[in-house]
Amino acid sequence: MTTTTRPEPLAVVAATEPPRPRRRGRATVGEATAQPWIYVVLTGGLVLLVGPFLWMLLGSFRPDRELKQVPPSWLPQDPTLDNYRTLFTELDFPTFFFNSAVVAIAITLGNLVFCSMLGYALAKLSFPGKRVIFALVLGTLMVPGLVTLVPLFVLVSNLGMVNSLPGLIFPFLAGPFGVFLMRQFIQSLPDELIQAARIDGAGEWRIFLSIILPLCKPALATLGILTFLTSWNNFLWPLVVAQSEEKYTLPVALAIYSRGENSSNYGLLMAGSVAIIIPVLAVFLILQRHFVQGIAMTGIK
Amino acid sequence: MRTSQRTRLRTTAAATLLAAVALSGCGRDDGTAADTEAKEVSAGKASGEITVWALGAEGEQLGEIAADFEADNPDATVKVTVIPFDAAHDKIATAIAAGETPDVSLVGTTWLSEFAATGALDPTPTDLIDSSKFFEGSWGTTDVDGTSYGAPWYTETRLVYYRKDLAEKAGVTPTAGWSQDDLKAFAKGMQDNGGAKWGISLQPGGAGSWQTYLPFAWQNGAELVDGEEFAFNTAPMREALDYYASFFSEGISPTDLAEGGLESGFINGDIGAFVSGPWHMGILADQGGEGFADKWALAPMPQEETGTSFTGGGDLVVFKDSENRDTAWKFVDFLTQVPQQQKLYELVGSLPAVESAWDSGELASDPLLKAFGDQLQDAKSAPAIATWEEVAAPLDDAIEQVSLGASDAEEALANAEGKANSIGFGN
Amino acid sequence: MASLTANPTPGTRRRPNRWRRREVLVGYLFALPFLALFVVFTVGPVLASFLMSFTDLRTSDVRSPLAVEVVGLTNYADAFSDETFRKAAFNTAYFVVAGVPLTMGLALAVAVGLNSGITRFKTFFRVGYYLPVVTSIVAVAVVWRFLLEPDSGIVNTLLGYVGVDGPSWLNSTTLAMPSLIVMSAWRNMGYLVVIFLAGLQIVPTEMHEAASIDGAGAWKRFRHITLPMMRPTLLFGGVVTMIGYLQFFEEPFVMTQGGPLDTTLSTAYYTYNQFGFGNYSYAAAMAYVLFVVIAIVTAVQFRLLGERD
Repeated sequence: MTTTTRPEPLAVVAATEPPRPRRRGRATVGEATAQPWIYVVLTGGLVLLVGPFLWMLLGSFRPDRELKQVPPSWLPQDPTLDNYRTLFTELDFPTFFFNSAVVAIAITLGNLVFCSMLGYALAKLSFPGKRVIFALVLGTLMVPGLVTLVPLFVLVSNLGMVNSLPGLIFPFLAGPFGVFLMRQFIQSLPDELIQAARIDGAGEWRIFLSIILPLCKPALATLGILTFLTSWNNFLWPLVVAQSEEKYTLPVALAIYSRGENSSNYGLLMAGSVAIIIPVLAVFLILQRHFVQGIAMTGIK
Repeated sequence: MRTSQRTRLRTTAAATLLAAVALSGCGRDDGTAADTEAKEVSAGKASGEITVWALGAEGEQLGEIAADFEADNPDATVKVTVIPFDAAHDKIATAIAAGETPDVSLVGTTWLSEFAATGALDPTPTDLIDSSKFFEGSWGTTDVDGTSYGAPWYTETRLVYYRKDLAEKAGVTPTAGWSQDDLKAFAKGMQDNGGAKWGISLQPGGAGSWQTYLPFAWQNGAELVDGEEFAFNTAPMREALDYYASFFSEGISPTDLAEGGLESGFINGDIGAFVSGPWHMGILADQGGEGFADKWALAPMPQEETGTSFTGGGDLVVFKDSENRDTAWKFVDFLTQVPQQQKLYELVGSLPAVESAWDSGELASDPLLKAFGDQLQDAKSAPAIATWEEVAAPLDDAIEQVSLGASDAEEALANAEGKANSIGFGN
Repeated sequence: MASLTANPTPGTRRRPNRWRRREVLVGYLFALPFLALFVVFTVGPVLASFLMSFTDLRTSDVRSPLAVEVVGLTNYADAFSDETFRKAAFNTAYFVVAGVPLTMGLALAVAVGLNSGITRFKTFFRVGYYLPVVTSIVAVAVVWRFLLEPDSGIVNTLLGYVGVDGPSWLNSTTLAMPSLIVMSAWRNMGYLVVIFLAGLQIVPTEMHEAASIDGAGAWKRFRHITLPMMRPTLLFGGVVTMIGYLQFFEEPFVMTQGGPLDTTLSTAYYTYNQFGFGNYSYAAAMAYVLFVVIAIVTAVQFRLLGERD
């Protein structure tokens, strides 16, 4: 159970060296065609990796009893839709899904906007206190998450945001990880672009919107995927903040219904886990082309 | 730049000063945290709204019983919120910290004293709830230093589940009042002559193993607390631990059972017996399949000085900050009435904490249930000390070390006692 | 693109004063939304928890958090003299020292493999290797426990075919940790594969071709061309993995609960336990010790692997 609420940092580069000139050659792949044995090895590795996911998927169609057999079997002996039936009828699935979606999307959008703004400021503008801000952002990124749970909850309670969607959203709208990512990326963009635009008389906001942001698509896609993933799967904070079931998110609801005091309903847990994963995979699939490019940029810097 | 260095110094100085000021505002006064005076509850019907937290999948069923309360008290509304079992302790703790507690909540029996120490719990009104109607062990879980907080809702205790058919084959049988040595011989018998791979499965250390071990110590007459200190390194404790560990060293009990291996092992006959609570009845019914119910039975805890078992369960507490204290306590009282206690059993399978609820219905007639009811007459709970969960961890470690043969009972228990006493009682 | 005549020397900061002032103003405006939220919701709680670590705050104090004793560095001193904390620290170090190179090595191998002309199913492979990262830890735990089953698990069955009597992996005080390390490498590899794959795009084919004409074999080319060019990416991957692994928690939590005999207890897990016991200030102190370690390790990595030019 990951109790941290921030995505793992992609780049912890504190260096302020000037960006390396990027090679303008075509990024090419090694040889023309791959040897067949590479396919074999990779597929073998893939099978190993996809295993648990397959087990989860298959398991969601099996009755709970079957899943608890030791040793576990792979193929369903008695396939059933009961788990999904329970998931969608006994649980208030639409409400939980809605809450999870609203919270994850809001946090993702917020981070995309705020982090790119500050990232740009840190990367391309100069103003006093810049270093302090960056150090602060860096520092909080390395603090293990659990320890701030109680003070944060007390704060949120004093602000009257307990048991509300804003209470789930606000604490994570300004994520230090996003600032990092965007700063790294934007730093590698050439200064000349900005200066030229300024000379042409463009306002700062316009420079940001029409020049910087379009060039940042890969980094934004990366940030989008990772922020969405973490917010969607977040368990501990939504549990602590919610006081009534209408405000539960999917991970919290799943934990309730699949765990009793002395027993667990594995069938329901598998079905729920599959249902939870689907939006995340969808977001990943859609954005993953940009993703690869994105990490390349920040990695190379 | 020169100025940045100076700015940095200034900022650090300011921050330190601020921190010093903030911390200087701290200081504990000697006021007691927990309130010990119970206030009365008004007579008449309940009114207004209360929020109740229930735990886990079982909590889902509370809504039905709450509806009965609302029918009886038309002016009252009960809002039930179910929270997951796993993180419930953290959720309640953070809720207390921020003052966001509900009116009523279910809590695990081992958490009650810890939460009482925060001062967040309301003492039980003695005019409303009569302590003598509960099992002694259950009521004991609500008693902190002489004041009671909340009321027991459901209870559980541990018995020996064993394979009747394997025992028959081996020609061994448990008897009422059997000794600890009898139990060991029984297990060994099923292993040697009954076809079981393991005579009995006990927990070789790990979280919660103290619940399986302590009954044996209690049977020897062990007292965990001596005045203001913990007393782990005593003769009854050592003897019990040696006895417990001997199951592993003599190969009667496995040390590395896989998760789920207990149930499947018992069902397929690899394991002859194990110690557990009433919930396993349902699990065995689910997983055992057709006809398995005829193959197993329950035996009581062995008897030395006493035949004590462990008791746990769930308690209902009312929070101090509750805005509708009257209705909250009336609801708690409602849940402890015999019809509601029996209904809880029907809906969820949890055993009533009220003794008279066992006098009628299935609880009186079913022999398996009766076995639990009988054992509840001699069952102890963990000491109602705020730090018990933390203190239990070194005890679990000691059990693990001796069970796996990494240490001897005296050394391990002395170690655990030392750690326990450095943790203290938490006041 | 506009011409660069106005500022003949790119990068010099000789802009007119009004632009300078505007820049500062704009800088603050751009920073404001983030900072407003950040200071309130992140810096505030972090500061509070940091101060908390210098007191003796426990559950019994949560309703009156200011009524605690300031104990200075006692919590920190206690942590260092706490036998279990030291053990957890050692376990964490073991995990990181063994786990990071293993994960990086595997990911690099896979990335190189995926890069050598796999034209078909590229997306399929990418998604597949990333899947463990997003799969529920519960499903992962069930499958891995099955794999490592002493009697019927696949690992021991395979070992049985070559005549080796496989041990009880998760219950052995010496083998539990290596098992978890392998499992973590397996789980987190996908994340690094994607990073390294991108990094490999930087290496131009021409250099490889030139080198192979000169007679350099595949391994030599890898060592002297690919690896050096990938240095920034490797640094990246190393730092990311190291930070994550220093805080590893999930794997022991679901697989071994820190056992057997605390051999798989990590610092983060121990902190979590203390938090569960209500020793909030002690948990905070341990968390900040971990923080300091993370910061130091990150800085060291930068010194060692950072860009020289």
